[in-house]
Amino acid sequence: MRIEDMRYTKADHLRATGYIFKSMKVTFKNLVRATVNRPCTILYPWEKLVYPDNYRGRPGIVLDKCIACARCVKICPNQCIEMVPIETPELGKVKRPQINVARCMMCGYCAEECPTNAMMVTPEFELAAYNRADMMFDPIKLQHPHKPGYEVNYSFALISEMKGGAAKTYAKNDPEMHDTIVLDGVKCISCQRCAKTCPTGSIEMAETGELNPKTKKPIKWPKFDNAKCVVCEQCVEVCPKDALSIKEVL
Amino acid sequence: METLYTVLQSLSEWLLGVIAWLIDWTRLGFLSGIADWVETEPVVTFLTTLLVAAIYFITLFMFGLCFIWMERKFMGRFMDRRGTQVGVLGFFQNFADGIKTMLKEHIIPKAADKGLFEMASFAIIATSAMLLGCIPLSPQFYVINVDLALLLGIAIFSFAPFGILIGGWSSNNKFSLIGGMRAAAQLIALEIPILMVVVSVVVMTGSLSFIGIVGWQQDNIWLAFPLFIGLITFFVAAIGESERVPFDLPEAEAELVEGWQTEYGGFRWGLIMLSDYLRAYIMCALVTMLFLGGWDGPDFVWAEIWYLAKTFIVFFFFIWVRVAMVRIRTDQILTLGWRRLLPLSIVNLLIAIALKTAEVF
Repeated sequence: MRIEDMRYTKADHLRATGYIFKSMKVTFKNLVRATVNRPCTILYPWEKLVYPDNYRGRPGIVLDKCIACARCVKICPNQCIEMVPIETPELGKVKRPQINVARCMMCGYCAEECPTNAMMVTPEFELAAYNRADMMFDPIKLQHPHKPGYEVNYSFALISEMKGGAAKTYAKNDPEMHDTIVLDGVKCISCQRCAKTCPTGSIEMAETGELNPKTKKPIKWPKFDNAKCVVCEQCVEVCPKDALSIKEVL
Repeated sequence: METLYTVLQSLSEWLLGVIAWLIDWTRLGFLSGIADWVETEPVVTFLTTLLVAAIYFITLFMFGLCFIWMERKFMGRFMDRRGTQVGVLGFFQNFADGIKTMLKEHIIPKAADKGLFEMASFAIIATSAMLLGCIPLSPQFYVINVDLALLLGIAIFSFAPFGILIGGWSSNNKFSLIGGMRAAAQLIALEIPILMVVVSVVVMTGSLSFIGIVGWQQDNIWLAFPLFIGLITFFVAAIGESERVPFDLPEAEAELVEGWQTEYGGFRWGLIMLSDYLRAYIMCALVTMLFLGGWDGPDFVWAEIWYLAKTFIVFFFFIWVRVAMVRIRTDQILTLGWRRLLPLSIVNLLIAIALKTAEVF
């Protein structure tokens, strides 16, 4: 019988038969079962449970896929992720996340946020070390071979659409449906920093057709390619005049 | 018949003879008086008694440890987990605990009544250790075999509420005081049914010594069959007397920190805990002696083994009751003692008298 189906039809626990004999029967059955088979205790260091496929252990990374958008840094609740510069023969000089695993609580938000699924959750959980420095996983140490199922995917629906009745679900990182960057053109000084910092190269400086009255050069404003944008907000942060802002889809 | 006493008497005679010979060998004239005195009967008897007591105590102490081990392992299996893990099958956990309690500091609370505080722990531990001597393992293996051994044992056993109450009072702590009061009320309430059941056994067997009681059962029938009500009554009261679940009100961990033992620490607490198990052993031993025929059994193994096997089986039921049930309230325990067990024990006594009058056995 499933435990949800069990009901106190009679006040068993108030009677001697229920209080004494029934409980003794239950415990004796348990004794026989635990003696004939084995107790449910797992003797951990010698035996291990079979972990499920979607087990969320420490985060792991595939360095090739990472685009250094730093969304994991922003979402991390414990603030244990930091972007550090590394240099490898394949990638050259790049920035990649480094994780302080001692502080990590294995929530998997970094993998959930990752637009390219470079960050993923691995089944590794035995992370004890003899000093704190060993717990600092730099990008090289953080690497983990990818297996399907390690990445964290989700789907979402928009509240505005749910109110209308039809709830359409979108996959994670749907290029058609994500927040957009909007430009307040009056503030823009055409410094091109957003275009330089964009990790996906989705910002292009496009001419507006106007000329700068002082220098007589064409004024360029950033133009956003929403299909490529991953909403990492780096352009918003880097803008010296606060001309860029996020427009959320709701 | 070769008993523990006769074996050890010849051993101590030989030992003292060796000592006397060594003293003579030194040829120091002024020591010859001592050499003669060493071989006299009082010295031999004293040494024999000492050796018997030491051997008996160590034996039963080890069985007390076995009881703790058994309870831990069985409770583990009852609760679908493994019990202790230290050493061979977890047996050495007891020794680890003992060493740990030995290394602890002995603290007496500032506001406690120091003399009484110390005395109460000694009273409880000493009476529990004394009780061990009252109960023989077999007709050969015993410390005392007096005609009133049963009465003596029960008398020493009923000294405990006194020590517990004093211990709870002198700790100067509300938890220990409440625990001590509960213990006294409960132990007194359950003492009467126990005594009535014991009286019925005495009526049936006509003897107050354990060897006599078991001898009667060997000749006739195990008393569990004619006095089944008495067995049940005695079993329930025995659980209450040894302060075990579901009658562990004196040390209800959830409400009173550790009951009357709250302020005790270190090795004293360890010994009090051990004496709890020794008292549980005594109660199991009494059930075995009075109702299950003591060391009565087929002859292919020693009598002591039969006796200990029965004791362990009774203790298994103690553990079973402990895991199966929850603690009951003070008023319920007193109601159970005075209004259920006492009438049952009187009924049992009447049955015993009727059987004896009708000369069934």
